[in-house]
Amino acid sequence: MGKVRRISGCVAAAEAVRLADVDVISSYPIRPYTGIMSELARMIADGRLDAELVYAEGEHAQLSIVYGASAAGARTFTGSSGVGVTFAFEVYSPISGERLPVQMAIGDRTLDPPGDFGSEHTDAECCRDQGWIQGWASTPQEVLDMHLIYYRVGEDPKVMLPQYVCQDGYFVTHILGDVQVPDEAQVKEFLPPYKNHHILDPKKPQIIGPQIEPCMGPPQQYQRKQAFDNINEVLIKAHDDFARIFGRRYDPFLEEFMTDDAEVVIFGQGAHMNTAKAVAARLRNLGDKVGVVRLRTFRPFPTDEILKRMSRFKAVGVVDNSAQFGISGGAGVLFSEVRTALYDVGDKVKTVGFVGGLGGEMITHDEFLRMFRKLQEVAKTGKVEKRAYWLPFEL
Amino acid sequence: MSEFERIPSIKKAPDEEYYVPGHRTCGGCGPALCYRLVAKAAGPNTIFIGPTGCMYVANTSYGCGPWRVPWIHAQITNGGGVASGIETAYRMLIKKGKYTGEQPNVIVMAGDGGATDIGLQSLSGMLYRGHKVLFICYDNESYANTGIQVSPTTPYGAWTTFTPSGEVIPEGRKHFPKDNAKVVAHGHPYLKYVATGSIGYPVDLMNKVRKGLAQEGPAYLHLHAPCPKGWQFPPDKTIEMAKLAVQTGMFQLYEFENGQYTLSVQLKERKPVIEYMKHQKRFAHLKPEHIEKMQAFVDAKCAEVGITVPVVAAAQ
Ligand SMILES: Cc1ncc(C[n+]2csc(CCOP(=O)(O)OP(=O)(O)O)c2C)c(N)n1
Ligand code: SF4
Ligand SMILES: [Mg+2]
Repeated sequence: MGKVRRISGCVAAAEAVRLADVDVISSYPIRPYTGIMSELARMIADGRLDAELVYAEGEHAQLSIVYGASAAGARTFTGSSGVGVTFAFEVYSPISGERLPVQMAIGDRTLDPPGDFGSEHTDAECCRDQGWIQGWASTPQEVLDMHLIYYRVGEDPKVMLPQYVCQDGYFVTHILGDVQVPDEAQVKEFLPPYKNHHILDPKKPQIIGPQIEPCMGPPQQYQRKQAFDNINEVLIKAHDDFARIFGRRYDPFLEEFMTDDAEVVIFGQGAHMNTAKAVAARLRNLGDKVGVVRLRTFRPFPTDEILKRMSRFKAVGVVDNSAQFGISGGAGVLFSEVRTALYDVGDKVKTVGFVGGLGGEMITHDEFLRMFRKLQEVAKTGKVEKRAYWLPFEL
Repeated sequence: MSEFERIPSIKKAPDEEYYVPGHRTCGGCGPALCYRLVAKAAGPNTIFIGPTGCMYVANTSYGCGPWRVPWIHAQITNGGGVASGIETAYRMLIKKGKYTGEQPNVIVMAGDGGATDIGLQSLSGMLYRGHKVLFICYDNESYANTGIQVSPTTPYGAWTTFTPSGEVIPEGRKHFPKDNAKVVAHGHPYLKYVATGSIGYPVDLMNKVRKGLAQEGPAYLHLHAPCPKGWQFPPDKTIEMAKLAVQTGMFQLYEFENGQYTLSVQLKERKPVIEYMKHQKRFAHLKPEHIEKMQAFVDAKCAEVGITVPVVAAAQ
């Protein structure tokens, strides 16, 4: 049944990669994700993992290497943070377009400026529409589990798509938590070996990625969309099997905390929601009907789940830990997408956007308290006087 | 280096083709001829990587391609990286018992843009890490697929759409070209074999491919590949242009191993560069002083690799 170890998010990710028996890994240093690669290098040096660590000359090369390796039939892993994530941008769409189930860890970091290493979701959210599955883990345990689940979902024949497993820089990458590290037999039962019928093999020559004519574009893109549409079903099944084999059950889409009779909730993703939960619990002690909804799967965005499950609240405050300038709604991408998802319930659910924790700052208890109070005011008056607030300047 | 079978003559070259008809490169396309010779020499246990350029676009139109071996598209930026991944994957899959078969030949066919400019970092990373990959630059001396723009290997004085000749800049292209074989030859510890080749000398070219593939680590070939469209000469003159480039010393044919240049053809004399340039409209605007500059540059390049024969103008 494995054993409990006190490890960081970085080490948890590396443990998952070891358990997944990955064949080819490509590395390049950038804080805060670097610890994942150092841990993997140590495992390989000690003979605990039989994989090759290819020292790429940059993140663009990291992604190029796993593109080639995955197309040759290897299970692959890479990772990055901040400007490293954006430096590799060219290669993301070719990987998903060729339906290569590469996995990449992102330990969030701001883009420059500010070059302060702090965590922000801005980096990973930049590449949100490239045809990759994407979600945020909020603890080291969830990091390990999400890596395993995403390999299984991405490599499913109905899906065959790459995956970003994101964790907040420092708040998760560097903070220790107790992690149940499963044993190999459990993982074998959960995760079948990587098999792609569409690979480079001189015994069965195939051409991968030819030029096409415009008329061939729509069907090709539509197939990628259809694969995306299949993810939810596969994700649900993988979470069920995961719960059965490992004994840990997660909601695949939304984790709800103290929401049963809640009137207002904070909605967000990643480790800041741990703070939000602590504040919600405190407010519950005072009799306030507040809760937290934590998004676990960001791509595909669970529009229907949100519509179904969140239309019962009076006010939803969406927290964006990212800088997206000029975006619709005036906060961040989560706010914009939650508003779109809730459009069909009309004016019944009020939404307010909050941008917080930029540059790697904590979103403090006091800030969450102010957000909850603002939401309660909106719920009570039924009026949204200001749609979005940048903290701490505007609230 | 492992043993390899030398091709003694064009007649004794293998009949089998692995780059077959069914593409839409221009008539007389030098890079397409390169591909045919490289594929023939490499044989069936080969995977090609094709960074964006004419040899991707003109070969794979309509969703199909002219290869009888596996081929994968790479970005113009990352031929070396993609090849590194493929080579490593096969090595690991064989080691872990996940693939039964021989390690395939891994060959990148990159244009001069993909090899010497935007893809140079990727090439260098691959070479320095020692992947067993043959990286080939088919040099048509321009960004051809985008409609003939200047690249690092475009000769001094050549017209391209980015280097037009005008009153202020009469020669058009002002820079002298980058010499990529020399850029890579020094400083990559696992790179033991660097050579240049030309479609005007097909047996030599094919044997260099085989020798490159027989290396334990990476190899780099730089192939001269005349482009009738970009250089503006008639399509039936491709081989003549290739030969004239070597005979004038505009392109030097050699192998570079153990710090030594070995010349691949023994010239008795060199023709003046004008004998090559006069056939190509891309040089038509040049004045005598520009041709002189070109001659001096070529003389120096030849001396660098040990081509010391005199330049002799043809009798009038
Ligand atoms: C990142 C990027 N920038 C620009 C291009 C546009 N582009 C397509 S083909 C090409 C020319 C390639 O030149 P070269 O490598 O010399 O190959 P050739 O076309 O001459 O065969 C360029 C610049 C691209 N595909 N990708
Ligand atoms: S433009 Fe030049 S390189 Fe491109 S297909 Fe035509 S002849 Fe070949
Ligand atoms: Mg070119």
